[in-house]
Amino acid sequence: MAPILVAKNLSKSYQMGEIRVDALKDVDFEIYKGEFIVILGPSGSGKSTLLNMIGGMDQVSAGELYYKGNPLHTADLKKLTLFRRHTVGFVFQFYNLMPNLNTYENISLATEIAEDPLSIETVLEEVGLSDRAQHFPSQLSGGQQQRVALARAIAKNPDILLCDEPTGALDFQTSIQVLKLLKRFCENYEKTVIIITHNAGIAKMAHRVFYIKDGQLTHIDHNENPVPPEAVSW
Amino acid sequence: MLRKKVIRDLKENKGAYIACITVIVLGLIIFTSFSMVIDNLHLAQTRFYNQQNFADGFAEIQAIPYSEMDHLKKLKGIDNLQGRLVKDVKLVLKDQDKNIYLRLISIDPTQENNINEMVLSQGIPLDRQEMNIWVDNKFFETHQLKLAQEIEIIASGKKKNLRIVGMGKSPEYIYALRTANDLFPTPETFGIAWMPLERMKTLLGTGETVNNIVFTLKPNTDYKDVEELLIPELKPYGLKNIFARKDQTSHLILTQEIQGLEAMARSVPLLFLAVAGMILYIMLKRMVQQQRGQIGILKAFGYTRREIRRHYLSYALIIGTIGGVIGGLLGIWLSFPFTTLYQIYFNMPGLNSQFSLKYFVMGILLSLVFAIFAGYQGCKKALTLQPAEAMRPPAPHRGKKIILEKVSFFWQMLTVQGKMAIRNMTRNPGRSLFILLGIAFTFSLLALPWSMKDLSQQIIFDQFEKIETYDVKVALSHPLPQKKVIWELNHFPGMKRVETRADIPVTLKHNWYKKDVVLIGLPQNSHLYNILDETGHKMAPPKNGILISGRLAKLLNMEVGHSITVESLMMKDPETTSKVTVVGIIPQYLGLNAYMEIEALNTLLGQKNITTSIMLRMNESDIPALQKAYNQSSAIDAIDHQASMLAQIKELMASTSATIYIMLLFGIITGFTVVYNSAIITLSERNRELASMMVMGMTPAEVLSVITFEQWFIGFFAMILGIPLTQLMLIGMAQSVSNDVYSMPTEMTAMSLLYAFLLTSGSIWLAQKIAAKKIKKLDLVEVLKSKE
Ligand SMILES: Nc1ncnc2c1ncn2[C@@H]1O[C@H](COP(=O)(O)OP(=O)(O)OP(=O)(O)O)[C@@H](O)[C@H]1O
Ligand SMILES: [Mg+2]
Repeated sequence: MAPILVAKNLSKSYQMGEIRVDALKDVDFEIYKGEFIVILGPSGSGKSTLLNMIGGMDQVSAGELYYKGNPLHTADLKKLTLFRRHTVGFVFQFYNLMPNLNTYENISLATEIAEDPLSIETVLEEVGLSDRAQHFPSQLSGGQQQRVALARAIAKNPDILLCDEPTGALDFQTSIQVLKLLKRFCENYEKTVIIITHNAGIAKMAHRVFYIKDGQLTHIDHNENPVPPEAVSW
Repeated sequence: MLRKKVIRDLKENKGAYIACITVIVLGLIIFTSFSMVIDNLHLAQTRFYNQQNFADGFAEIQAIPYSEMDHLKKLKGIDNLQGRLVKDVKLVLKDQDKNIYLRLISIDPTQENNINEMVLSQGIPLDRQEMNIWVDNKFFETHQLKLAQEIEIIASGKKKNLRIVGMGKSPEYIYALRTANDLFPTPETFGIAWMPLERMKTLLGTGETVNNIVFTLKPNTDYKDVEELLIPELKPYGLKNIFARKDQTSHLILTQEIQGLEAMARSVPLLFLAVAGMILYIMLKRMVQQQRGQIGILKAFGYTRREIRRHYLSYALIIGTIGGVIGGLLGIWLSFPFTTLYQIYFNMPGLNSQFSLKYFVMGILLSLVFAIFAGYQGCKKALTLQPAEAMRPPAPHRGKKIILEKVSFFWQMLTVQGKMAIRNMTRNPGRSLFILLGIAFTFSLLALPWSMKDLSQQIIFDQFEKIETYDVKVALSHPLPQKKVIWELNHFPGMKRVETRADIPVTLKHNWYKKDVVLIGLPQNSHLYNILDETGHKMAPPKNGILISGRLAKLLNMEVGHSITVESLMMKDPETTSKVTVVGIIPQYLGLNAYMEIEALNTLLGQKNITTSIMLRMNESDIPALQKAYNQSSAIDAIDHQASMLAQIKELMASTSATIYIMLLFGIITGFTVVYNSAIITLSERNRELASMMVMGMTPAEVLSVITFEQWFIGFFAMILGIPLTQLMLIGMAQSVSNDVYSMPTEMTAMSLLYAFLLTSGSIWLAQKIAAKKIKKLDLVEVLKSKE
């Protein structure tokens, strides 16, 4: 089976006046459809940078990055927008919901621009918020808000779901709930899910774990038997 | 350290601050340049009047012996008094088929310090024994005359040569109109010449009499008292008209122009500064909200309230100072060409501009007052916060249904972006109000000058094409029965219609209200002068009663049915007065008149067949022949050709439209600024929401639509609000602009509204286009990684 994402010598550097920060250095990997991947690494190691490259949030500095054979490293801002629009879903540590749209509307913001969206009702059902459809973000708890954010990302029915510390602001119980949803999306719809976390415990759920240090992909662990989210602990 | 923060904050939002400064600059340009032009006009006027001994009173008489002057001079309150001959003569210039008039005014070259003395800018003194003249500079320049050149005139039916020995300017003809009915000075067809009294007497054959008196008053003398003494003295000699300086045409027009400028200089800059103040207020308020945390930390560090206040006020201070300095300098600089422009209209020496420290400083102060007031209002919240409170995020927005959501068919129609936009509007009502008022103001600023341009054109063309529809007007030299002339004209080749008309100067009185106007007598079935009512329908001049113009009715506090007292020096017995009933009030925008049927007018005056002019309709091709035939007639004063007057006016109107385009430009800039700033503020306030929309894969255009929808939605209502606002401004404008020569109608034209609509929409569109660039630059990663 062909990988859906391929990176060769992928690098990203930031120019800050005189100084150049190499946030990512010569990273190589292949990612396949339906994979559940966790990225681990110390703070400032370049995890978010990597995820942003994959998600078309920012332009690549050097090296190559392909999605289903199409180059992303040469794509202009317009192409990257289209890539995000049709292929990627994002979830952040801070939920970034529209404060003046209710749950239902927040999700429809995403489905309106998607090519083949899931039904909002179904997604709400999946995240268990059917009875909160008319609530505004300020009327929801943190975990509920994160589930709305997740629902919003899933509803577009993206091939790749990218999560930057999705449980970072949540307590243990709520985190498990969110992880379950991610796993289910990965398995039921056969989508690729990539998660950044500081929790080594979460890594046990993954098919593969990428270890990042100082902007480099130091090694990749293969997990023969991923554990279900319920069994995760930290 | 805080200073660095100020500079960085300003840099970050430089577009918005520059826009705010621009609006201040526009306001100050108007304030400074107008104020300076007003001062320049005032100064030049006062100096000119003082130096040339400009008269305080004027009288026109049939004929009075020159020897009477010594007696009149001694009347109480009179400082100096001079008798003059004033007479319009026709000029014979080669290759000119137009009628050209030269107003001859006698002076006594032996006397020093004559009243209304001309300032000689070129040439030599007049020789009292010679047929020599001085002419006014505009006429001299327009006709490319030369000193020592002789020009040929026709006086009392005879051709005479006059030698030009000098040229210059007179305080009596700063704005030189031949008759009070003219709109603009026309040096092409009207000039003024000064001539020694002795030679003028022989030229006109007037013997030892004069027909015009000018006088100056002793300090602290009331003109009215002197007039009361003079009238009985002059009446036996056929007093035609006596009036104060304030009613002298040239002085009146100059004064009214200055008053109009003063009204503008006082009101318009305040509007611009108010808009700028609102922008500043909103920007600072937003900044304070976004910097709650920073303020909290500053307070926690132990910064005093005063230091923090100073910090936030320094933004306003910087903006106000920059705006004030640039606006002041540009205004001063603009006052130079602006003053030069006035030199074209007002012919007086010493009318020029110079750097004015006073207005420069005043401009900066004005700008600072507005900026600091707005700034203080914007940031005072920050001062009252407790440090701990400041570091907590502001109370969350409570989701609540708004009324519009209940109109479900409308709500269903909206895209999600539309729904966001509408909720935003209600979330921030102050901001929405600002956009509403800002765009409404823009709309009015665009509709107003356009309306005024349309209206003034309409008025003038209506006057020529609908009201005074004659081809030629022949002014008679004596208001006497002119049977012979009328008979002749009726038989002139190409003549289609001949109508008589009487223009009688009268004083109308109602209670204690009083006004000097010209009462026009017209034949019952006149076709050449149409009196129109509000709906544009023709009205016959009344046989019983009088029609008066709307403005006259207001000035005299008259209504239909009231009875009005008429006094006139042309009454058979000038001591008597008559009463007539007002039977109608008509709109009149050019001039200030009353109307009666001509026979009824004659009866009222106790006269028979008085005619002052004859209106003609005739073949255009026969007009030159007519002019030729009557050029030398002593019975005829002037032959006015409507078509050539209209052509001249059109030419002049084209040159005044520059001002209108400047006002339009100001309007567009203001609209752009308001919309651009509100877009920028919204962008920075909601960058997080907008960034997440971008991450989802929305294009910048789709993201922008949240903001643009809001602006178009408000903009639509703002433009509707702009219509009554324009109407109000037009009424205000009409009140300050209207005078006895010209009153402005207050109906907006459909065209101006359409243009304002298009231009306002255009500036909204442009501002959004430019704001869109900011969205493209939004750093997604940066925005989203921070906590809310
Ligand atoms: N916009 C930027 N400009 C300059 N340097 C940046 C920028 N964004 C990230 N960096 C640098 O790149 C490096 C990697 O940052 P990144 O955000 O990827 O780290 P991370 O692994 O996600 O850390 P954390 O776990 O704390 O979120 C850091 O050294 C950071 O300072
Ligand atoms: Mg990170």
